[in-house]
Amino acid sequence: MAYPGFSKARAIVGATALLFSLSAVVSNAVAADSKTITVWDQQTNASSSKIIREASDRFEKSAPGYKVENSHVLNEAYKTKLKVAFGANQPPCVFENWGGGGLHEYVKSGQIVDLTPYLSKDPAYRNRFMQSSWNVTTFEGKTYGVAAENAAAAVIFYNKEVFRKYGITPPKTWDELMHVVDVLKQHGVAAFSLANKNKWTGSMYYMYLVDRIGGPQVVKDALEGKGKGFEDPAFVEAGKRIQELVKAGAFAPGINGLDYDSGASRRLLYTGKAAMELMGAWEASTIANENPGFSKDLDFFAFPSVPGGKGDPRDLIGTVGDGFLSISTECKTPDAAFKLIQALTDDQAMQARASDDHKLPPVNNVKIDDPFTQRLQKMIAAAPSVQLWYDQALPPALGELHKDTTQELFGLSLTPEAAAQQMEAASKKGS
Amino acid sequence: MNIALSATPERRLRFSSQTLVTVAFLAPSLLLLAVFLLYPLISSLRLSLLDWNGLGNTARYVGLTNWARLAHDTVFWQSLRNNVILAVASIVIQLPIALALAVLLEKAGRGSRVLKVLYFLPLLMSSVAIGVLFKQIYDPNFGPLNVALQAFGLDGLAKDWLGDPHFSLGATIAVIIWQNAPFYMILFLAGLSSMPAEVNEAALLDGASEWTIFWRIKLPHLQGTVRTAVLLSVLGSLRYFDLVFVMTGGGPEGSSEVMATYMYRTVFSSFQLGYGSTIGSAMFLIVITVAAVSMYFTRRYATEV
Repeated sequence: MAYPGFSKARAIVGATALLFSLSAVVSNAVAADSKTITVWDQQTNASSSKIIREASDRFEKSAPGYKVENSHVLNEAYKTKLKVAFGANQPPCVFENWGGGGLHEYVKSGQIVDLTPYLSKDPAYRNRFMQSSWNVTTFEGKTYGVAAENAAAAVIFYNKEVFRKYGITPPKTWDELMHVVDVLKQHGVAAFSLANKNKWTGSMYYMYLVDRIGGPQVVKDALEGKGKGFEDPAFVEAGKRIQELVKAGAFAPGINGLDYDSGASRRLLYTGKAAMELMGAWEASTIANENPGFSKDLDFFAFPSVPGGKGDPRDLIGTVGDGFLSISTECKTPDAAFKLIQALTDDQAMQARASDDHKLPPVNNVKIDDPFTQRLQKMIAAAPSVQLWYDQALPPALGELHKDTTQELFGLSLTPEAAAQQMEAASKKGS
Repeated sequence: MNIALSATPERRLRFSSQTLVTVAFLAPSLLLLAVFLLYPLISSLRLSLLDWNGLGNTARYVGLTNWARLAHDTVFWQSLRNNVILAVASIVIQLPIALALAVLLEKAGRGSRVLKVLYFLPLLMSSVAIGVLFKQIYDPNFGPLNVALQAFGLDGLAKDWLGDPHFSLGATIAVIIWQNAPFYMILFLAGLSSMPAEVNEAALLDGASEWTIFWRIKLPHLQGTVRTAVLLSVLGSLRYFDLVFVMTGGGPEGSSEVMATYMYRTVFSSFQLGYGSTIGSAMFLIVITVAAVSMYFTRRYATEV
C-alpha cells in the first residue's frame, strides 16, 4: 500500500516542480528592474552599435543608478519582434522606428509617450534637428519621436566608367534618360539594376515619377483623401512611365525575383551588366564596405525631370532621420528615458555617426568630411520637399497594397489605371 | 468468499492510485498542450472576429465581417489553390521519387550506406540556407542553372525562374520536393525493412520478376506506409511556409503565395491581426477537415506505420 502512495506523491511533486520551473522562466522574463531602461534598435553593425553603447554609458554616468540594456536586431526580424512585444504588452522602454504611418498605428493605440512637453522645455535641443525631421513623427500637432540615425534620400547611382565608355552623360530629363537607355541597350548593358522581390525598391521609381509629374502635393492630398486621391492622373502617368521603361528594356532581367537583401542588384553593377541603380544614399556605404575597388567608379545624380511635370527636380524621396527614437507608455521612467534619448542624439553621438559611420545625421551642426555625404547634405538642404517613403508614410495595409500593385506594374500584369483604382478603393475603405 | 471480498477493495484502491499517477504524469504535457495549442487555437478564432491592429486596446468587434471578406478575397483563394498544387505535386512527384529511391537503396543493401546518407542530407539542412542557395542557382543573370542551359544551347529554356509569375511556384515546389523527398524515403525504407525476406525469396523461386515483386508484394506491403506518407505530405503542403517565404516571399504578384505566407504578411506587414487570424483559422479548419476526411476514407489501410 505504501509503495503506490509514495510514487504518487513523487509524481505529483515532479509534475508541480515542472510547472514551477516553467513559471519561473516566464516570470524571469517579465521582471525587469524599474531602473533598467531597455532600448531596442536595428543598428546591428559594429560601428553603429558602438556609438549607441557609448552614448548609453554617458547617460548612465549622468544618471547614477540607471542601467541601459541595448538590443540590436536585424531589420525584418526587428519589425516582427517589436510588434509581438507591443501586442504582448511587454514593449521596450525606448525603441527605434521609421515614423510615418507605422508609428501612427502605435500612437493611435495609445502606446507611445507624447514628447511635446519635453521638447518645448528644451527649444535649443529641438532646433538643432533638421526641421523636416519632425514632420515624420508629428501627428495632430504632437510629436512622438526624435530623429537619430541618418537622413537618406534616393538618388540614381551610376558607373562613371561605363558612361564614359559609351559617351553618355547623366540625364537631366526623361527624354535624355530614354536616350541613355537606348545607347546602353545597343551595347548590351542594362540601364538599371533593380531587385524588386523586396518591392520597396521598385516603389522608388513610382514615388519619384509621381513627384516629378504631379508635384509633392498630389500624394499629400491622396493621403488625406482630398481631390481625386490615388486616381489623380499623376499616379496613372507614373505607372505608364514605369511600364515604358520596362518595355524599353531598361532593366536587367529578372527584376521581380531578385532579392536586394542578398545583393542581387549590386552584383549587376559590379559586373558591368547594368549601369545605374535608383537606391537610397546608404548604398554608397554598402558598396564601399562590400566592394571598395568599385567605389571609385561610382557617382550619383538626382532623378530626372519629366516634360510638362509640376514637380521641382530638386524634390527628394527619402527620410530625414531614418531611425526615430520613441518611448512606449509601458515605460516606468519616461523622464529618464527622454534623457537617454538626448544622450543618444547628443553632439558626440551625431558627430560619431558622421565620421565613423559615414551617415548624414539629421542635425544641422555636424562637420562632414566625406565629399559624397557633403553633396547629399547640400541636396537635402536645397530640396523644396522631401517625401517620406510611401510604404512608411501610408497606413501599413495601404503601404503593402502600394508595394504589391507597383510590383505588378513592373511585371506588366496590371494596368496603371487599375493600380490607381485599387489604391483609391482601399484608401477610401480604410482609414 | 473472504478472499474475494478483501481483494476487491484493494484492487479498486490500487487502480485508483494508478490512475492518479497516470494523471500526474500526463498533467504537464496536457497543460503544455492546453497552453500552447488549445488556447492559441481558441483565441485565434476569437481574434478572427475583431478588427484589430494588434496594439493596445483598439480592438473592435466586427462579427463575421472578416470571414465575409475572406470569402471574396482573391488573394486567399489564389494561395489556397497554390497550396493544393503543392499538395498534388508532392503526392504525384515527391512520393514516387522517394519510393523509387527507397526500393533501389533497399535492394542495393549494405553497399548503399553512403548513398543513403547523401540522399538524406537535404533534409538536415536549414530551409533558410537551402532557400538562399537556390535563389543563387535560379538567378537569371548569374545563376548556374541558366548558364548550364545556355551552354547546352537550350537558351529557350533559360527562364526568369523566380521573377516570372508563370514559373515562380513551380521553381519553388521543385526545391521543396528536393528537400523533403528524403524524409519519405526513410519512411518507405522503414516500411520495406519490416517485410519478411522469405516472401521475397519465395517469389523469386517461383520465377517472379523484380517488377512483379514490386507491384504485387512490396507495394501492397507498404500500403499503410503510403497512406501515412500521403497524409503527411498533404497536411504539410497545406501548412507550408518556409521555402516560399525565403525564396519568393509569395511573389511575384502573389503567384507563389500560400496561405501561411499570406497570413504572415497580413499580420506583420499590414498590421491586421484580426484578418490575419481569420486566415489562420480558415487554414486550420481546412487542414483539419482534409485530415479528418482522408483519415476516414483511408482507414481500411491503417496499419502499423
